[in-house]
Amino acid sequence: MSARGERRLGAALVAPAGAALALVALGPLLATAWLSLRHRVPVLGEDRFVGLANYGALAHDARFLGALANTAYFTALAVALELVLALPLALALHHAGRGRGGIRAAVLVPWILPTVVAAKLWALLLQPDLGLLARIWPDGAGAVLTRPRLALHAAIFVDVWKTTPFVALLLLAGLQAIPEDLARAARVDGASALRVFRSITLPLLRPAILLALLFRSLDAFRVFDVVFVLTEGGPGHTTEPLSLYAYRTLLRAGSFGLGAAISLVTFLCVVAIGLAWLSALGERRPAEAP
Amino acid sequence: MLPSLRALAPLLLCAALAAGCRAREDTRSADRLVLRYQPLGPDPAPFRALVAAFERESGVEVEVQALPNAADLAHQLLVTSLGAGGQDVDVFVLDVVWVAELARAGWLADLSDAFPPARVREEFLAGPAGAVVQGGRTFAVPWYVDVGLLYYRKDLVPEPPRTYAALAAAIRAARAEAPGIAGFLWQGRQYEGLSCNFFEALWGHGGAALDGDRLRLDTPAAREALGHLRRLVADGLSPRSVVTAAEEDARRAFQEGRAVFMRNWPYAWPLLQDPASKVRGKVGVAPLPGADGPAPGALGGWQLAVSSRAPAARRAAAIRLVAHLTSPDANAVLAIAYGRNPARHASYEDPRIRAEAPFIAALLPRVEAARARPVTPYYMLAADALQGELSAAVSGLRSPAEALARAQAQADAIAGVER
Amino acid sequence: MSPRTAWTIALPYLAFFLLPLGWLALTSFWPDAELARPLPSHLTLENHAAALAGGGLARAVLNSLLVSGATAALALALAAPAAFAIARLGVRGGRALLAAALAVSMFPPIATAAPLYAALRAARLLDTLPGLVLPYTSFSVPLALWLVTGTFRALPLELYRAARVDGCTPLGAFRRVLLPLAAPGVATAGLLVFVFAWNELLYAVTFLTSPSRRTVPVALALFGGEFRDPFVVLAAASMLATVPVVAIAVLFQRRVVAGLTAGAVKG
Repeated sequence: MSARGERRLGAALVAPAGAALALVALGPLLATAWLSLRHRVPVLGEDRFVGLANYGALAHDARFLGALANTAYFTALAVALELVLALPLALALHHAGRGRGGIRAAVLVPWILPTVVAAKLWALLLQPDLGLLARIWPDGAGAVLTRPRLALHAAIFVDVWKTTPFVALLLLAGLQAIPEDLARAARVDGASALRVFRSITLPLLRPAILLALLFRSLDAFRVFDVVFVLTEGGPGHTTEPLSLYAYRTLLRAGSFGLGAAISLVTFLCVVAIGLAWLSALGERRPAEAP
Repeated sequence: MLPSLRALAPLLLCAALAAGCRAREDTRSADRLVLRYQPLGPDPAPFRALVAAFERESGVEVEVQALPNAADLAHQLLVTSLGAGGQDVDVFVLDVVWVAELARAGWLADLSDAFPPARVREEFLAGPAGAVVQGGRTFAVPWYVDVGLLYYRKDLVPEPPRTYAALAAAIRAARAEAPGIAGFLWQGRQYEGLSCNFFEALWGHGGAALDGDRLRLDTPAAREALGHLRRLVADGLSPRSVVTAAEEDARRAFQEGRAVFMRNWPYAWPLLQDPASKVRGKVGVAPLPGADGPAPGALGGWQLAVSSRAPAARRAAAIRLVAHLTSPDANAVLAIAYGRNPARHASYEDPRIRAEAPFIAALLPRVEAARARPVTPYYMLAADALQGELSAAVSGLRSPAEALARAQAQADAIAGVER
Repeated sequence: MSPRTAWTIALPYLAFFLLPLGWLALTSFWPDAELARPLPSHLTLENHAAALAGGGLARAVLNSLLVSGATAALALALAAPAAFAIARLGVRGGRALLAAALAVSMFPPIATAAPLYAALRAARLLDTLPGLVLPYTSFSVPLALWLVTGTFRALPLELYRAARVDGCTPLGAFRRVLLPLAAPGVATAGLLVFVFAWNELLYAVTFLTSPSRRTVPVALALFGGEFRDPFVVLAAASMLATVPVVAIAVLFQRRVVAGLTAGAVKG
C-alpha cells in the first residue's frame, strides 16, 4: 500500500473517534460558550445578550479569584506529590516478581472506591471532635478542617491518597513498554542499577511521566467531590475550587450565564495547562526517533 | 489473534443494553403520573401503601422516582428537568425556600382552585402556608415540616435557658459539675444549615431580613446576631469544631454526652433515645434562646407541587395525588412511620399520632412559632453568597460587619437593586 | 531492582493505602449508634443487611458493570484503531485531534449536563443505560486515545516495518503484531476508562430516574435521610460494591493481558 493509501486508511481509522468526540462533547462546549455571553437566570425569567459582561464581572470578583488561586494551588501540590509518590511505587510494582498482581490490586482499591465514599471516609477520620486523628492529635491534623488556611491541605491529602495509584498505573504502563533487553544489556556492560535507571529507564519513561502529569493536572484542576464532601468550600470559601463555584452559580444560584462563563474560564485554564504540557511532551520523543 | 467477533462485541453489548431498556415515551397518558420525592426512611412499605391506596381509588398509575437527599443535587435535578421544558415530572417535592423561586419561574401550576389560599392558611401551619401562598395564589401544598430546637441535658441543666445570657451561665454551671464538657453545639459549616442558625440568631435579636422582596442583611440586628455566633466560638462556649459541623456532627457528639446544649431538628430525638445512646432519658427539648426571651426556630420541611408543563388532564390527576398525600391520614402515616412532623394544625390532635408519636404531638407550639427563612424569589440566588460570608465571619476570617456588607452587596447585585 | 527491594518499597505504600481501607471495612461492621466512639463495643452485620435490603444495591452493581464494561469496550474499539493511525500511519492533523480530544474531554461536567440532558431526551435515550454509555464513551475516548497512542509509539518502528515487509497489510500489522505487543497499555487504558465510568455520579444521577437503572454511585447517593448520614451503611454498601470490581479488574488484567501477550509470542 502506498503512503497515500496508508494515510487514507489512517483517516478512516481516526474518523469514528473524532466523530464520537464531536457529536457528544463539542455541542455542549459551543452551547456553553454561547451561554456565557448572555445574562440568563431562568427562575427570574431573565435572558439577554450581554457580550463579555460576565467575564468582566469575574475579573473583579474576589470569590472567583480566590477560587482560581485555590484550584491552582490544589493542582500544583496534589499533582507534584502524586508523581513523587507514584514513581517508586510503579518501579516496585514492575519489579515485584511473584505476587505483583496482588499488590497491584490492593493498591488500586482506593482509586476504585467511589470518590464520595473515599472523601466521606476521610471526613470521618478528620472530624474535629470525634475523628480518629482528633483523638490522636487533637490540635494538629485533627483540627485541620476548622482552620481556614489549612483545610485545603486536607483535600489535597485525600486526593493524593486516592489518585496516586492511578498515576502509578500510568507509569507502570510506561515501564512495561520499555524493552527488557535494553536494561539487561546495560547491566551486562557493568552499569549500576541507579545508572541504568537514570540513563535508560527515566528517559524512556519521560512520555509516560508527561502523560501522567498532563492527565492528572487537567483532572485535578476540575476537583469537585473531595472538597464538596470535606468542606463544601468553607470555611468562608477558602477551600472552594472553580468547579464548585461554577456548580453553585449554575445550579444553586441558577445564574446560567455567569456559571457558563466560570466553566469556560476553567476550560481555558485547562487548555493552557494542556498546551504547556503538550509542548513539553513534544520536545523530545525518544521512542519515535531512535 | 483477534477474531472479528471480538470487534463486534461492544456493538452487541450496546444492542443488548438497548433492548433491555425501553426508552420512556415522552407523551404519557393521563392515567400515569410521575412523582419525584426524597425517600422518607429505610422502609418504603408504608409510603408505598399510601400511594397504592391512591392508585386503587383513582385508577391512575403512579411512578415514583427518588431524588437524592442532598438538597443541592435534588434542586439541580429539578432545575435541569423543568428547565429543559419537558413533561418528565408531574408532581415533585420542594424545599420551603424553593417555592418562591420556582413559582416566579413559572414552573409550578397554580393550585388555587383545588387549594384556595384562605383554606391553606386555615388548615396548615402559618410558616409553610406563608411559603406556599405567593401573591394570593397557592403554588404548592405543605407536606411535612421541620423546626430548629434546643436540646439540653436535663441532668446538668435544671431549667432550659430562655436567653443567651442564661445559656452562657448554664454552660458555666454545668462545667463546674462536668469539667471539660463542650457547651453549645450548632451548625457552622458553610452550607444552608448555617443560614438557618444565623436567621434564628437574627430573630433572637429582634431582627428581620426582608424588606418587600429585598433581602436586608446589613442591619444592626444582623451584625449583633452574627457577632453573637462568632463569640460563641471565640469565647469557648461552643467548640471550635462547630465551624465545620453539620447536623450529624452535632448529633453524634451530643449523643456521646460530650455537650450540654445542641441546636438541631426533631430528627435527632429518636436517635438520642436509642438504647446505645449515652444520653438516653437525660435530654429535654426547649425553644431556642433569644436576647430577651425565646426565639422562633427556623422552618424546614417539604411541599408538594405540580408541574405547570403537565397537560390539563394529567394536571387534574396530579392535583388529586397531592391532595391524597397531604391529607390528615397521610400526615399520620408520615408522622408514625417516618417521624415527619405534620404540616396540618389538626394532625397534632390526631389520637393516632398522640398515641404513637407523642414527641411529635408535643411539638405543636414549636412548629406554630417556626419562622420561614426570607420568602423571596431571590433567596436561593443569594443563599450561596450569604453562606460563604457567614462562614467567613463565624470562623474568624472577617468581622461580622464586613461579612454582612459583602453579603448585602452580592445579594443586591443578584436582585439588580440600585443602591 | 530485585523483587526484595521492590517489596521493601511497596510495603509502606500498602500500609498507606490499605490501613484507611481497613478502617472503612471495620466501620462497616460498626453499630451506628457507636460511630462516635474510639472503638465499637461489638461488631454487627446489620449494616450489610441494610445495604442489601431491597436488592437495589445488587442491581446497581450489575448496571454499573454493564455500563462501565460497555464504555471501556466502546472507548477502546474507537481509540485503538485511531491511535494506531496517529502513531504509525502519519495521519494529517493527528496531533490536532489529540489536542482537541483532550480539550473537549476536560470540559467541566456540570456545564455539559443540561445540554446533554436535552440532547438525550430528543434522542429518547434518557433513563436508559445506552444513554449513559454514549456520553461516558465520548468523554473517555481521549484518555484511551492518548494512552494507546503512547503505547504504540513506544513500540520500535522496525517492528511495524518488518511486519509490512513480511507481507502484512497495515491493518494486519496492527492486529497481529502491534496490538498484542501493546496489550498491557491497552488493558491499562481499558481499566482506567472502566473505573472512570464506575465512579461517575453527576451524569448518572441526572440522566437516570428509574430505580432499576441506578448505577452504584447513584445508589450510594440515595442512602441516608435529609439530615441523617448513615455512614456505617454507606461503608458496608461500598465494601460490598467494590469487592466484585477489584476481583474483576484483577481477573481481567491477568486473563486479557496474558492472553494477548501469549498470542503475540506465538504469532
